[in-house]
Amino acid sequence: MGARLFEVRFHGRGGQGAVMAAQTLAEAAVLAGYFAQAFPYFGAERRGAPVKAFTRIDTKRIALKSQIYQPDLLVILDEGLPSIEPVAEGLKPEGRAVINTSLPPEEYDLGVEVECFTVDATTIALEKLKAPIVNTSILGAIARAQDMVPLKCILDAIMDKFGERLGERAAKANLEAAEAAYSQVMSGRCRGERILRKGQQWLPSWEDIPPGVALIVGSKEGVVIGPGSSWQNFTGTWRTQTPIYIQEKCVRCLRCWWACPEGTIKRLDDDYMRWDYRYCKGCGICANICPAKAVEMKRGTKEW
Amino acid sequence: MVVKVISADHAVAWAVRLAKVEVIPAFPITPQTLIMELLAEFINDGELDAEFIAAESEHSVMSVAIGASVGGVRTFTASSSQGLALMHEMLYVPPQVRLPIVMVNVNRSLGAAAGIWLEHNDSMPERESGWLQCYVEDNQEALDMVLQAYRIAEDERVMLPLMVCLDGFVLSHTVERVEVPGQEEVDYFLPRFRPCVTLDPSEPQLINPIVPPDYAMEMRYQLDRAIDASRRVIAEVDELFGRTFGRRYGGLLQTYKMEDAEYALLSLGTVTTTARAVVDELRSRGEKAGLIKLRFMRPFPEKELKEVTKDLRSLGVFDRSLSMNGFGPVFTEVRGALSSSGIALSDHIGGLGGRDVTLEHIREIYSDIALGKAVQDGANWYGLRRRRK
Ligand code: SF4
Ligand code: SF4
Repeated sequence: MGARLFEVRFHGRGGQGAVMAAQTLAEAAVLAGYFAQAFPYFGAERRGAPVKAFTRIDTKRIALKSQIYQPDLLVILDEGLPSIEPVAEGLKPEGRAVINTSLPPEEYDLGVEVECFTVDATTIALEKLKAPIVNTSILGAIARAQDMVPLKCILDAIMDKFGERLGERAAKANLEAAEAAYSQVMSGRCRGERILRKGQQWLPSWEDIPPGVALIVGSKEGVVIGPGSSWQNFTGTWRTQTPIYIQEKCVRCLRCWWACPEGTIKRLDDDYMRWDYRYCKGCGICANICPAKAVEMKRGTKEW
Repeated sequence: MVVKVISADHAVAWAVRLAKVEVIPAFPITPQTLIMELLAEFINDGELDAEFIAAESEHSVMSVAIGASVGGVRTFTASSSQGLALMHEMLYVPPQVRLPIVMVNVNRSLGAAAGIWLEHNDSMPERESGWLQCYVEDNQEALDMVLQAYRIAEDERVMLPLMVCLDGFVLSHTVERVEVPGQEEVDYFLPRFRPCVTLDPSEPQLINPIVPPDYAMEMRYQLDRAIDASRRVIAEVDELFGRTFGRRYGGLLQTYKMEDAEYALLSLGTVTTTARAVVDELRSRGEKAGLIKLRFMRPFPEKELKEVTKDLRSLGVFDRSLSMNGFGPVFTEVRGALSSSGIALSDHIGGLGGRDVTLEHIREIYSDIALGKAVQDGANWYGLRRRRK
């Protein structure tokens, strides 16, 4: 076996299990006789935020501790991510992609045209696990997309990792999800029409950073401007469900206004509320906290 | 101007009063207490219009100071030893947020082998916090430096907190002749505080948020450059102070009989006074001895040090604390600055945990430097009991 470095980059959202998937793949690689490491990169540490995780596999001891910029394999746990982040950036031309989508590869626009494996991991997860945690289904698909780590090692690693944390029954359900995904994978070449566009980025030089670590808040607007703030982070793109405000029911207690972690909810002069959906990540805290049931969560990203 | 015979702690309190400081958070710790007692009296008697806030810990003291400074008011506090250590976490906020708080640290030994006596091992570890840090030699300098500190810290090219360190008991509780300047002179020297970052309810801001990796490095570099920029301001302020009050201290460092010196000692704090006496003795015997008084640890006067030592054969460094690498922190930094100078460098440690440093110790240090007793396996210790051979 010649020396071979194989690098995998996972893109998901906080809560989908991308980190666990990366770790499980590393464990499977070790079971298959390789050296491996897995690590996360958290941007904003919040549910719904895009997260990255990395797995590095090699035939010899791994001498790198940096992130992965030119992956051999790209794994996308949320099919909507490419429209908000240039996830395919750096993927090697001969690299491959595994994507959680119901579309066949030929209909999926990743932004680069590569060999692609698609699987409807969300449906599989909902059926086998009764929750949209897609990491084990995606691992089944990964077994089809590369030739270093076989399905058996991946299943053993799932059993070990998930069994340890969730007990044997839950681990078995995860095995079934992985196996189902393995058999349902569609392969082909995805489309590369989308332009890989960086998000709204503000990367000032040291001279241009305003001195003093302070962020200006547009008072009632509530949206923070400055390093790492909502100004660059349109948290609204994280949303999969959307709060609907029913003004007739609102008793103007201001609880939602206080509790919203994103500064989405604006307080109007008459103490009624207005939602700025550019920043609503759909976490549902406002609906939960409202004593008058004046906020209802609806599936989808429609704005009301 | 009036002449008083007062301790360095009281001299500091007078400076704070003259600087018209508006908020003073404090927690008592020996030997800093005299400062706060007198300030409390000033406020009580209506001689200083300031808010005195007795916080429940030093950690809270610095938090209150941050809040006050970002509110746009001149802020003062003082601490020492264990108190400074408890403050450590909050010390990192004012530099990066650019809050020109002035603090006096009355040097006292920190940690086990505990005591209330003098050692520099409380303030030395804070060199990395982003505070400017200076050491004074006598009570007059203590008063003058607090006034200079506000002028330096609040300069728009600096906007950094400044820690004035003074030797516990040897200064804090020792009375000397001190000239207390008049209010008018001080008002002329010290303009109104114009903050760089403020919290103002009419224009809400968030300070000290989480900063992701995309920005933190630029911010650190910017802070390091601001510390570097303070060098010029420190020199300018010393000159302006000289013109106003007739006393100058030389800025980052001060030299004594260095013009034709062949060997010299670099010292900081009160030991400098004793060293000056020894240089006079040696000079009267025709010896070419000199003295460098290091005034600032941050910014560290690397360039200035190279300049004043360029004709030296050997240079000794006095340290009143340890870096636990066989040497003291001052020596470690001096060696870094002069690494390519070819000067024989040696470290001389004494006065730890309040051990008195005598004239005899300093004579011995100078004779070791003259002999070029450079370091073999670490520093030379003075007053240390050793087993008889
Ligand atoms: S769902 Fe509600 S609480 Fe969550 S971000 Fe949107 S508005 Fe804010
Ligand atoms: S929590 Fe509900 S009732 Fe209270 S202000 Fe928000 S929407 Fe209105």
